[in-house]
Amino acid sequence: MPADAFPPVSVGGGGDGIGTVSGGAAATVASVYVHAPFCVRRCFYCDFAVQVRRTGGVDEWLEALAGEVAFVRGEGLFGLADELSTLYVGGGTPSLLGPEAMAGLGRVLGPERLRGGGLEWTAEANPESLTPEVALRWREAGVNRLSLGAQSFHEPALRWMGRMHGADGAARAVRRAREAGYENIGIDLIFGLPAHLGRPWREDLERALELDVSHISLYGLSVEPATPLGRAVAKGVEAPVDEEGYREEFLLAAEVLEAAGYAHYEVSNFARPGAESRHNSVYWTGAPYLGLGNGAHSYTGHRRNGGGPVRRWNRRDWSAYRNAACSGASPEEGRESLSVDAVRLERVWLGLRTTRGLDTAGWKERARELARDWRRRGLADVTDGVVRLTREGWLVMDRLAVELEATLSP
Amino acid sequence: MRLDHIRNFCIVAHIDHGKSTLADRLLERTATLDRRQMREQVLDDNDLERERGITIKLHAVRMLYRDPAGSEYELNLIDTPGHVDFTYEVSRSLAACEGALLVVDATQGVQAQTLSNLFLALDAGLEIIPVLNKIDLPGAEPERRRNEVADLLGVEPDSVLLASAKEGVGIDEVLQAVVSRVPPPAGDPDAPLRALIFDSYYDKYLGAVPSVRIVDGTVRPGTSITFGNVDRRYEVTEVGYLRLGRVPQPELAPGEVGYVVAAIKEVADTRVGDTVLDADRRASELLPGYREARAMVFAGLYPTSSDDYEDLRDALQRLKLNDASLHYEPETSGALGFGFRCGFLGLLHMEIVQERLDREFGVDLITTVPNVEYHVRLTNGTEQRVESPTALPDPGRIESIAEPVVRAHIMLPADYIGFVQKLCHERRGVFKGMSYLDPQRVEMNFELPLSEIVLDFYDRLKGGSRGYAALDYEFLEYRPDDLIKLDILVNGDPVDAFSVVIHREKAFEYGRDLVRKLKELIPRQQYEVSLQAAIGGNVIARTNVKALRKNVTAKCYGGDITRKRKLLEKQKEGKKRMKQVGTVEIPQEAFLAVLNLGSE
Repeated sequence: MPADAFPPVSVGGGGDGIGTVSGGAAATVASVYVHAPFCVRRCFYCDFAVQVRRTGGVDEWLEALAGEVAFVRGEGLFGLADELSTLYVGGGTPSLLGPEAMAGLGRVLGPERLRGGGLEWTAEANPESLTPEVALRWREAGVNRLSLGAQSFHEPALRWMGRMHGADGAARAVRRAREAGYENIGIDLIFGLPAHLGRPWREDLERALELDVSHISLYGLSVEPATPLGRAVAKGVEAPVDEEGYREEFLLAAEVLEAAGYAHYEVSNFARPGAESRHNSVYWTGAPYLGLGNGAHSYTGHRRNGGGPVRRWNRRDWSAYRNAACSGASPEEGRESLSVDAVRLERVWLGLRTTRGLDTAGWKERARELARDWRRRGLADVTDGVVRLTREGWLVMDRLAVELEATLSP
Repeated sequence: MRLDHIRNFCIVAHIDHGKSTLADRLLERTATLDRRQMREQVLDDNDLERERGITIKLHAVRMLYRDPAGSEYELNLIDTPGHVDFTYEVSRSLAACEGALLVVDATQGVQAQTLSNLFLALDAGLEIIPVLNKIDLPGAEPERRRNEVADLLGVEPDSVLLASAKEGVGIDEVLQAVVSRVPPPAGDPDAPLRALIFDSYYDKYLGAVPSVRIVDGTVRPGTSITFGNVDRRYEVTEVGYLRLGRVPQPELAPGEVGYVVAAIKEVADTRVGDTVLDADRRASELLPGYREARAMVFAGLYPTSSDDYEDLRDALQRLKLNDASLHYEPETSGALGFGFRCGFLGLLHMEIVQERLDREFGVDLITTVPNVEYHVRLTNGTEQRVESPTALPDPGRIESIAEPVVRAHIMLPADYIGFVQKLCHERRGVFKGMSYLDPQRVEMNFELPLSEIVLDFYDRLKGGSRGYAALDYEFLEYRPDDLIKLDILVNGDPVDAFSVVIHREKAFEYGRDLVRKLKELIPRQQYEVSLQAAIGGNVIARTNVKALRKNVTAKCYGGDITRKRKLLEKQKEGKKRMKQVGTVEIPQEAFLAVLNLGSE
């Protein structure tokens, strides 16, 4: 990605909204997220909107999405751009939907919107269900970026998590993807796993490097209460995340991956030059996006009736979502109009996530002083008036965001 | 009304023995208020209190009663506050009466406050009319309790009235007893005015309005009044008595109870126990019994955010208008910045003030550990009064430190004697005796340092006796003991708000428990934080709060930023309740942590 498309986020200098536009017409969105809810089983730690079933119900999925797209069109809050810039199919396990799913999705969204040369179309896949046919047919449908849920190359860890693939699964999937013609391939790795698994983190990182993919996402294990893991921790059967271990693994990964030529461009993302995820940066920059499918979130800075930017989310439960979408009703579960305070907090937090950083122009003295304090403590760099967190800073990013926001509020 | 047709009385009882229900029934039976009005009255009071920050209670309500023989009487029912903090106020209300209904729950019998109130009433020379209430309850033992009360008072069991205020049983008998047994007031209408102030409230439009009992002389609109202990002069604009609201009268004569409006600026001018005098014809002698409201418990009140200092000052000023017993003066803490050192009558009073500052004035507060006033004798022979541990002089200059000691009466079921002995012993109590009220119940007497009570004594007492033990106490004297100052050091620096004065023998345990408790309460920070308890330069306990190693929501997928932001907002809220002390953030609760020590 060219550097000039990646300017620092400005906050506290007077702007009151992220990506705000005004006027009466619908906001044009060029970025779409589509949720594929089906999984063969639920992973031990997962709290996503997931529906467990043996095979993906691609027909009902497409029918429900078509219903939602028709509803959105009639609603007038979001208007799809003639040419989409990014399209991201996440899950769940999109690869469980089979080879025809992406072509079908293309028809639902309107093939003409997907023909632009600049489209980044990502689909997530799990190693075990990315068959050669799925890889190939998706590529033909227009998918040009694959994100593989590798997580680990260590058998006991994969077992513990409840993953369906084995230690070699990820490598096989990458090979298949290459054979199908994908150049832009990313993998997810999980870290911060309980010590009793004996997961060799450095080895896993080296195995990941051997795959020579263009993008690596690191997900720190978090214990969510409403998951099997959460319940196990509550019962004392499983240990809570060990902060020291988490910290060491994060720092080691950053060091190893950067040494191998991956840029640590966002707190949990690494990319070869030019291979940064454009879709994810939509979330971080506050551009509008439309989320389709159960549990999906949409956002527009477009103001309606003088309110703030709007974020809304669909029903999480698949059946409830499908019933609403297929009957032409709104699948929305809730929405919020963001207050000025909420916008500022999000802007600070999202701004600190990436190496774009936060522009200190217009900051009060106490905010600048805080940034200098971070620098003294090795938590941030301040260069040309832009604050960027270091690895150490990223480890305590939530706290830093709250601290900084307090100094920026009136 | 002729003096012999006036009766002034009050109702005294242990908490929940049915004092207010009985009062309601008396008002109802004399057609002073009906049920509907009483309900409205209660509602109005709450709204008024909230909206205008004033208190209008049924402090002295006048009833007209026609006895079975057809004679009409003016009965003044004077309400009394019901808590150990307000013993002095109670004694002044009693001084305005000639008789008292002593209400005792027929299921529970005589309790701690029954006794303390009874003794106050006897001290005031009142005629006591015992009333056994709640005789309708399944657990009531009217005959046994009747004998118990009769024994206590040394009267015939027949003279103890039986009633159920809830069911309206025995109310007429109570009213007749008030007329026949309470003596009428005496007083000289021609003597110079002397009226006893037994209560006062602040009205935004009228100023401070004292409730008074006229002892001698009369007061009427146009009278110039002054006070025995406050040198101010005001002209009376209205007098009258209270019923549903104020009922103006041409004058108040000897023996009568009522209110006086004179555009009095603040309640501090109308001190409970003081004498209202005719400014142009001063009586030569004041009414007896006045004393300055004395603060027993002190604490620092600080705004959580230093920007709110002015708000806190204004709020205290406004509270003071209505609460003469609240004392405050500016104080500066190294840890907490600018705030106020406040004096309270007791712990309940402190809680009320905190609650009102928070609820009515919206001030976010940090309250420091409550302490008592110490009398410090210096090596140069002078004495210094110290209301705050931080104000304690250098140890080298101290000859001795004396602390207030109270006489405590604890009423308890006999099963808990061992527990109470042990608790009071731990609290440096000196056992002074014990008497059985009946085979099951005991009154134990101790002399206890007040400082041992102001922490968590009451909770421990209640907790250890399954709620049965009741405490009452009164100030006895100042007594020297081996007291020292204990400091808490955070990252090596003493935090003045944590300093306490404590007995030397208890310092180690206290310090150890407190640093442990603080370790739980202080959230982890960017750096390790050391906590130490020290006497002088001597560290006696230490622990560390480990550094925060990770605080990051790494995942941010699918655009669900709302949920992540809510987590941040929660952190943000938590942070707001923190006080920045040097480089360490300390939560509000930590400053009161000692109140929960030893509760595990």
